[in-house]
Amino acid sequence: MTTLIGKRVYRIDGPHKATGEARYTTDIFLPGMLCAKILRSPLPHARIVSIDTSKAERIPGVKAVITGKDAWGVRHGFVETPRYPADQYCLANDRVRYIGEEVAAVAAIDEDTALEALDAIRVDYEEIPPVFDIFEAIKPDAPEIHTSELPDLIEPYKNVGGRCANTFGDPEKAFRDAYLIRNDRFESQLRTHCYLEPQTTVAHFDKSGRLHIWTSGMGVFRKRMHLAKTLNMPSSRIRVHKIWVGGAFGGKIDLFSHEFCTSLLSIRTGSPIKYVAERDEIFSYFRHGQPMVVDLETAVSRDGTILGQRVRCYNSCGAYRGSGVVCIFLCWGFIILPYRIPALDYIGYSIYTNNPVRAPQRGHGAPQIRFAVESQMDMIAEELGIDPIDIRLRNARMKGDILPNGDTIKNAGLIECIKEAAEKTGFRDRYRGQKTGDGRQGSLSEIQKNVSINSHGSHGKERGRFRQGIGIGVSGYFTGTLIYPNSSAAIVQFNDDGTVRCLTGALDIGQGAETILTQIVAEELGVNIEDVEIIAGDTDTTPVDIGSWISGLTYVTGNAVKKAAEDARRQILAAASAELGVDAERLALKEKKIFIKDMPEKGISFSRAIARYIYENRGNPIIGRGFFRGLRDTEIGPSLKNAKGSWSDSYAFDAQVAEVEVDITTGKIRVLRATTAHDCGFPINPLLVEGQIDGQVSMATGQAVSEEIMMENGITLNPSFLEYKLPLATEMVENSYIDIITEEYKKNHHFHTKEVGEGYVSGILAAIANAVYNATGYRAKRLPIRIKI
Amino acid sequence: MKDKRKKSKRIIHLHINGMDYDVLVEHRETLLEVLRGKLLLTGAKDACNQGECGACTVLMDGRSVLACLMLAIDAQGKDITTIEGLAKNGRLSPVQESFVESGAIQCGFCSPGMILTATALFMEKPQPSRDEIKKAIEGNICRCTGYNKIIDAIEGAAEKIRSRGFSDDNVDR
Repeated sequence: MTTLIGKRVYRIDGPHKATGEARYTTDIFLPGMLCAKILRSPLPHARIVSIDTSKAERIPGVKAVITGKDAWGVRHGFVETPRYPADQYCLANDRVRYIGEEVAAVAAIDEDTALEALDAIRVDYEEIPPVFDIFEAIKPDAPEIHTSELPDLIEPYKNVGGRCANTFGDPEKAFRDAYLIRNDRFESQLRTHCYLEPQTTVAHFDKSGRLHIWTSGMGVFRKRMHLAKTLNMPSSRIRVHKIWVGGAFGGKIDLFSHEFCTSLLSIRTGSPIKYVAERDEIFSYFRHGQPMVVDLETAVSRDGTILGQRVRCYNSCGAYRGSGVVCIFLCWGFIILPYRIPALDYIGYSIYTNNPVRAPQRGHGAPQIRFAVESQMDMIAEELGIDPIDIRLRNARMKGDILPNGDTIKNAGLIECIKEAAEKTGFRDRYRGQKTGDGRQGSLSEIQKNVSINSHGSHGKERGRFRQGIGIGVSGYFTGTLIYPNSSAAIVQFNDDGTVRCLTGALDIGQGAETILTQIVAEELGVNIEDVEIIAGDTDTTPVDIGSWISGLTYVTGNAVKKAAEDARRQILAAASAELGVDAERLALKEKKIFIKDMPEKGISFSRAIARYIYENRGNPIIGRGFFRGLRDTEIGPSLKNAKGSWSDSYAFDAQVAEVEVDITTGKIRVLRATTAHDCGFPINPLLVEGQIDGQVSMATGQAVSEEIMMENGITLNPSFLEYKLPLATEMVENSYIDIITEEYKKNHHFHTKEVGEGYVSGILAAIANAVYNATGYRAKRLPIRIKI
Repeated sequence: MKDKRKKSKRIIHLHINGMDYDVLVEHRETLLEVLRGKLLLTGAKDACNQGECGACTVLMDGRSVLACLMLAIDAQGKDITTIEGLAKNGRLSPVQESFVESGAIQCGFCSPGMILTATALFMEKPQPSRDEIKKAIEGNICRCTGYNKIIDAIEGAAEKIRSRGFSDDNVDR
């Protein structure tokens, strides 16, 4: 009997956050705490000839100055494999490769003194020619950013940091047999996460030689692993403490230089140290999402069935690999997932440039590739005279499909998602009714020719100044994969009063992890939400956890917590069974009592059962243990080189419809409504699921119509919220949601749920672009959409 | 060099959440720096420090102001309410309660500023329209929620204020 799963349970951290009681890393003020600041390279590419810190060290109030020579020469990377070894120092050693690269760090008694110390550090550089554009960077005569080369690189390209190639089926034949072939280039911009809490770290190296860390991250165990490696310390001497995190969206998962520097400065001084990134530092030098150029060639039959695709992705990973090599693998994944592709010839390149390093950003490859595929899908449909809904239904993934890597699609609600989204929005009629596109690339001036705009902007010759349009996009997403620490474990204990304590390494970054885990424990043990206390996200006191990323927390940690609760339940039932003299199968748990199912008046309290258990086991209390690992029979995650190997246990799907209004006198696009039909397994908490979808629709809207980090020669031109235009409340998109719950989840498999945190940022992005075309005839091939006037 | 580090300071009197504080501040220190660093009232957040995000919003004589753009010395003689002063006797204010119940809080970093901005709106306009709500919080950035459930929450708070009354101690500051 489900009482708490599927309910709109309020977030357990709500009151803490609503009252200002919840503390974030920026809110930590420790006695004697010093201020850390970082000196950054002013040049995009240069050799470091010398660094003189002596003057800075003599300034009163300066407690420590560190440079690359203090950092053991250890490199780190988002990916560290034999093929892709770590390529970045925490502090630059002999060379800098982008403007803003960390060169030195200081700790001082206050911010002014720290800034004065930065000014006093003298660095002599010898400039090297830089390169910023990916297609310039791959030319044979381009400046070399890293000396390493990929052994399997057959192209005459320079500065290739990663290459992912995968071919299956017979692409040659597919293109030979095609009724129609389309070949288009789509480009996604450089954009960024805009987590509201700035990157912040507090470190305190205590007198017993242990390093305490509070940092705004996405998983405490991964941070500890990276810090242990770069600080040359055993991981057991590092404690990453639980702290609330003010948003991340992928942008806080890597190890960052400031986390290393703050730690090392604390080790040097023995004092607590705090580093808070300024907002313009974040915009200019921190890790953003990944701009991508996609060359997409698609062969289809007369009825719109995809026969094959040839795809080349060019991704700028920045001056170091960052997650660029993962992004080009994921682009492959998000091509093969939503549609049946019988033949594919895919190569993705991740290219070094003298730009800041790139990180995952919500969707990580999916927005870039789905924007391309879904836009082209509409172009093909139009050329063939097929409805956008029909062409998608024709190609959609279905249950039982086997992906090219061997993964089976155990359940898929994509067909239902497309049908329901279309029906609820009246898509077919409205798409036809509003259609102005004639297949030609339109500019606004062409559109305006046919329109006489009056001052009220209402009645033009055709449809006036404000054009409305509707568009659809679909996507899929994976549910966790294998990457350190791969799995999660949990402990569930009873307190003497019958309440429950759950220990989990999960870190709530705003998505509601603690609330979901509380629901699962409470459900399993028949107690109320208030009876469960969660101790989370602390490397010393909680078991290992996969972290709040790779879309795996609810599935992986959720199941670990469930198993721990089941284990505790088994133990308390054993005690109750002995006390009541009936088999455990005949017992049920509710409201901190255990009773006999067919004699509900007969039972004992949890307290009584707990006491009996401890007594009978000579002092041994009830401790439930659980663990869970996705892809449990697979040793390692999929290959980043050739995309072979299992990727995930299950896949979520969605279809999203956007309704837009375009002012054709200014080109301004407003996204009015979004409809998301989602197959996320079973929504454990619909309130949180909706919240995730709302956030993704908003982030996609920003990407579609306004957001872009503008860079020139390695310099960020718009490093503030004022100049980087993200959606405001007045641009809110009205959302509706359609739960598609596939058969498997109706059969009580609620906890084998699927991801919901980043799969819904891509379909809607493409839907907006398609809706703009529907409204104006302008086909966007570059993001953000800027309609030419 | 020594003169450069010599900072002009003075003791100022601040009235915050019904309490009186005497604080030694530098002339150029912002109200946000003093609230957070000196009084440890960290509910007002330091997300941009340049008046662009609204996370540092506090109430001053019932109006919302950005604490990062205001000098602490200019806050003397004003009645300041921070997010820590909104709940009374352990009970959340109608706006706070509505934020929790509507799912308007995710990471929570914008929440104090949003809640105080909404509170100021209700003092001026007890029954704002949906568009007026959007306009009122336009200066408060939220990256998690898309604003949907925040706007729902503020609408819901209007209901609560109607039933609990605007003179509720929680709101009438």
